[in-house]
Amino acid sequence: MEVISMIVNDEFGVMQRIMGEFTRKRINVEAIVVGKSEIPKRARVVLTVLDKEMADIAGARLPRLHDVFEVEIVDHSRHSAYALISTGTGKVGLIGSQQEIQELIERAHPDRYIQTINAI
Amino acid sequence: MAVQSFQEVVSIRGSKIVLDVLGSDDIDVIFGIPGAATLPLYDEIFHSDMRHILARHEQGASHMADGYARMKGTPGVCLSTSGAGATNLVTGITTAYLDSSPVIALTGQVPTHVLGSDGFQEADIFSLMMPITKHNFRVTDVKNLESDLRSALRISMEGRPGPVHLDIPRDVFETEAPFLGLKSDPVSPQPPDPRRLPEAVKMLMNAERPLILLGGGARISRAGAAAIRMAEALSIPIATTLMGKGSVPEDHALVLGMAGMHGKMSANIALDECDVLLAVGARFSDRTVGDPRSCAMKVIHIDVDQGELGKNLPADIAINGDCRLALEAMIELLTIKVCSSTWSDRNGRIVSRCSCDIDVQENPISVRKVIKELDGFLPDDGVVCTEVGQCQMFAAHHLTIRDDRRFITSGGLGTMGFGLPAAMGAKVADPDRMVIDIAGDGSFTMVCQELATAVAEDIPITVVLLNNGHLGMIRQHQKLFYGSRFNAENLGNTDMVGLAKAFGAGAARVDDYRDIRSALEEATSSGRPYLLDIQINREEDVFPLTLRTANGVKIHKGSCPFNGGC
Repeated sequence: MEVISMIVNDEFGVMQRIMGEFTRKRINVEAIVVGKSEIPKRARVVLTVLDKEMADIAGARLPRLHDVFEVEIVDHSRHSAYALISTGTGKVGLIGSQQEIQELIERAHPDRYIQTINAI
Repeated sequence: MAVQSFQEVVSIRGSKIVLDVLGSDDIDVIFGIPGAATLPLYDEIFHSDMRHILARHEQGASHMADGYARMKGTPGVCLSTSGAGATNLVTGITTAYLDSSPVIALTGQVPTHVLGSDGFQEADIFSLMMPITKHNFRVTDVKNLESDLRSALRISMEGRPGPVHLDIPRDVFETEAPFLGLKSDPVSPQPPDPRRLPEAVKMLMNAERPLILLGGGARISRAGAAAIRMAEALSIPIATTLMGKGSVPEDHALVLGMAGMHGKMSANIALDECDVLLAVGARFSDRTVGDPRSCAMKVIHIDVDQGELGKNLPADIAINGDCRLALEAMIELLTIKVCSSTWSDRNGRIVSRCSCDIDVQENPISVRKVIKELDGFLPDDGVVCTEVGQCQMFAAHHLTIRDDRRFITSGGLGTMGFGLPAAMGAKVADPDRMVIDIAGDGSFTMVCQELATAVAEDIPITVVLLNNGHLGMIRQHQKLFYGSRFNAENLGNTDMVGLAKAFGAGAARVDDYRDIRSALEEATSSGRPYLLDIQINREEDVFPLTLRTANGVKIHKGSCPFNGGC
């Protein structure tokens, strides 16, 4: 898993433009987190793809977009993983390393869950 | 950016903002078709000096803006209404995108309060244009219109040129906003990354069989003179891609001509045998190098677009920056070298063997004879646009682009119907030059309605229609690769002279090769749009056809008289 972090325009259409580059190069985005950032009118997008080759291809294409200001392929060691799980007893948010989250999900057998990775 | 003093800031309508910004960037013509969403802008055009050329289909308008932009090297503007008008631009904008042409596409849109309601003539053109432009804007607030249009003009020219689209709702044209009168910063070429230049020069100077390959980027950045200087200093031959054709004079001793599927044997042999390839503004498209795995040579790749470096072929040395500046910087680093003459002598011999006789004196007329006559007739500053298919490849292969001649063609997208409107745009951009569209009947009938525009707007271009009544390239491929099971390639027998005359253009039919020259003289001196319906031999195919695969090179020589190596 490789993590790409970007600073982008905080506007309508920007995610579509970014995803277009992944579509063109047939790269599936495994997980994605988007939110306001410390810079006014800029959002941070953090997403993951399967391998280094895909990350490099995307990393070369994304800076060409005029809505994208910074692109960084993030160091592996800074990943943190999140999951929101729903079981018979309720909903729980989890934070931890990727491996910890994976283990917790396997142990809890949730009815539903969503898992993602974040790194800044 | 310089801003006028506060007192001078006045509020004007969005439609006037559009025309004032374009006018201040020396854009004097818009190609378009009006509709409900753009009528406020058209009313402003009525009150302005802006020339408007009414196309008969928005695809035509977009290719005209493209031809204008390629001829002038500055942005060309096309304008459509919302919905179907806007979707009709898509082919032309994609064409401009793949050939890196600075086209500004303006589309009207339904008013902002209707957006998203599937209103009459509403299409999500903002989304549709996204993957086929360098960037696009949906201007929903008139306050952003001036800066967005300024940004669009800058982006279209900056680095690698390309189309930019603005989607403007009707109410934005009608609403007033302060007009700041911002001035565009001049776009200067991007200096090359200097870090790997010395290494690149060393690799080139140590090469035994070096080759320079010039692509569209070399032509756009006017890197031709620098390429010739470098080639002469080191006795390196030069090949071009289709889009690089015309970047260097093709009558120069070191220029091998166009490489690729329908390229010259001389260029393709050099591409096969070189040990170091200096690729300048070329992107290793499948039509030039075939399968990139067929490229075993070492590659130095110069491109202004970082995204092209390593995209199709990994480069041994990649240099990001303007092609002309990069070559000039490399020339500075050259040291005196005693060149081995073996490689350059050999290339010289191959070139002389490759200069075949195309003076085919027979009827039905051979396309090569038409090209031969045109080559002799075209002035040193003549402009040739092409449609797409056999006509395009015959022209690309045989026509000599030298001196200040220009060659304008749809390379990346291969857009049939490009040539006629592009020729019209080029003629509008530079009315003093002779502009010829080399057309096939298949491509021509896709846009033939634009002859009406040429007549109405007095744009005297000449269409050299190579008429074989067939989709020639389809027929050729069905003949070569599908056992001559011809289908869906017969276009019948349209009366092209009657068609052209119905639009008010001049027209003549040519059945004998001896009449080609006088017909060209008649057409180009008539002072009006003219169509020459040249009845050609439908069995004549484009050769050689070179297929480069991972397993080697396969050449269909056909009528190509080239006889082996040296």
